[in-house]
Amino acid sequence: MVPALALTVDGMRNAGAVAQGVRFIVLFDPNSLIAAIARSGDRAAFAELFDHFAPRVKGLLMRGGAPAELAEEVAQETLLAVWRKAALFDPAKASASTWIATIARNLRIDIARRETRSRLSQVYEILDEEAPEQPDAMLSGAERDARVRAAMSHLSSDQYRVVELAFIEGFSHQDVADRLAIPLGTVKSRLRLALSHLRGRLEDLR
Amino acid sequence: MSMLHRPSDETLAAFAAGQLDEGLAVVVACHIEADQESRGRLRELQAVQGALLDAAEPVAMASGPSPAAIAARPEAASLATVPTPEGMPKVLRPYGLGPWRPIGIRIAMRRVEVPGADARVFMLRAGPGISLPHHKHTGFEWTTILAGAYEHEYGRYAAGDFDEADAEHDHTPRVDPVEGCTCIVAMTGSVQLQGWLGRLLQPLVRF
Repeated sequence: MVPALALTVDGMRNAGAVAQGVRFIVLFDPNSLIAAIARSGDRAAFAELFDHFAPRVKGLLMRGGAPAELAEEVAQETLLAVWRKAALFDPAKASASTWIATIARNLRIDIARRETRSRLSQVYEILDEEAPEQPDAMLSGAERDARVRAAMSHLSSDQYRVVELAFIEGFSHQDVADRLAIPLGTVKSRLRLALSHLRGRLEDLR
Repeated sequence: MSMLHRPSDETLAAFAAGQLDEGLAVVVACHIEADQESRGRLRELQAVQGALLDAAEPVAMASGPSPAAIAARPEAASLATVPTPEGMPKVLRPYGLGPWRPIGIRIAMRRVEVPGADARVFMLRAGPGISLPHHKHTGFEWTTILAGAYEHEYGRYAAGDFDEADAEHDHTPRVDPVEGCTCIVAMTGSVQLQGWLGRLLQPLVRF
């Protein structure tokens, strides 16, 4: 077996010569990359973030049925917004993935509803700036994400699939029903069950 | 402020996913702004999206502009937003508000201009003790109470509460006898108002 060493990105950069045959697992650390952009407009950090997240944003949108060009445009604009807004990223509020996912959601709305002059993305931004929650709910973004991920891992695969589809643009409950070839009522009850399951797990983990 | 009535999980998930009609979304946002617990739930649902992003199968970007070229794009001027009047939810800042228009005795309405929404959005302000028009509707009627309170067969709805009614409901809210009530409403489908007040309100609801 090849020995595996975990290094931080900074550690990796400073590591210099790397012994042959040693496989390095680089811990991708988006928080420090975003911090480097905010601090000094670090273009190498941006390129690394771009290479990781842009294809995932594109993939997520295409999985939801978005045409490749639209998914590509949203992915580019999302990473451009990450570059410009890096200083506004607050790891206490959300993890990097969650922050980037909400930027992608807002831009997807802006782009898809461009001709109707939608202002919905501004509404999400205003809510995001709202005062913190009550003290017992003051979790860091990373803690909240970890809890949500733990709760999601307890969903059945059917429930996970419904949640996944319900969260991706363009999927009304009817679309989800068509795609999974199950009745609309089943989608609604499965989604309701999955969400209440998720909520119950999150309350247990609190 | 303790809320008694909140959006269902499905409604909040659809809001978090950016899938609600903008008119309905604005009324949900007025509730979320007023309610810490719903803000916490919204953040959890946004974290679900973060997890889905991490789990997404990457699709290679076309050989388009490099990250460096993208970072160098000039920035467009940001849109100016008009400050909302005192006591109004901040989430209404991006939208135009019509003037208050009396539509009966001690009842007034103002339009909220939400471009691109299928739902009609308006605020209603009613004096203490009056009954809002008895009505039925074919679509959704979602309401967030902004000040004061009303009461109907499903309970009392006070500032910040969210009232998620659909075509099943047929109700006659009674406005709080002391505080009166101001609320924001989004309606889809058509509404059939009944009684004398309903006849007054009808042409205005169907703007």
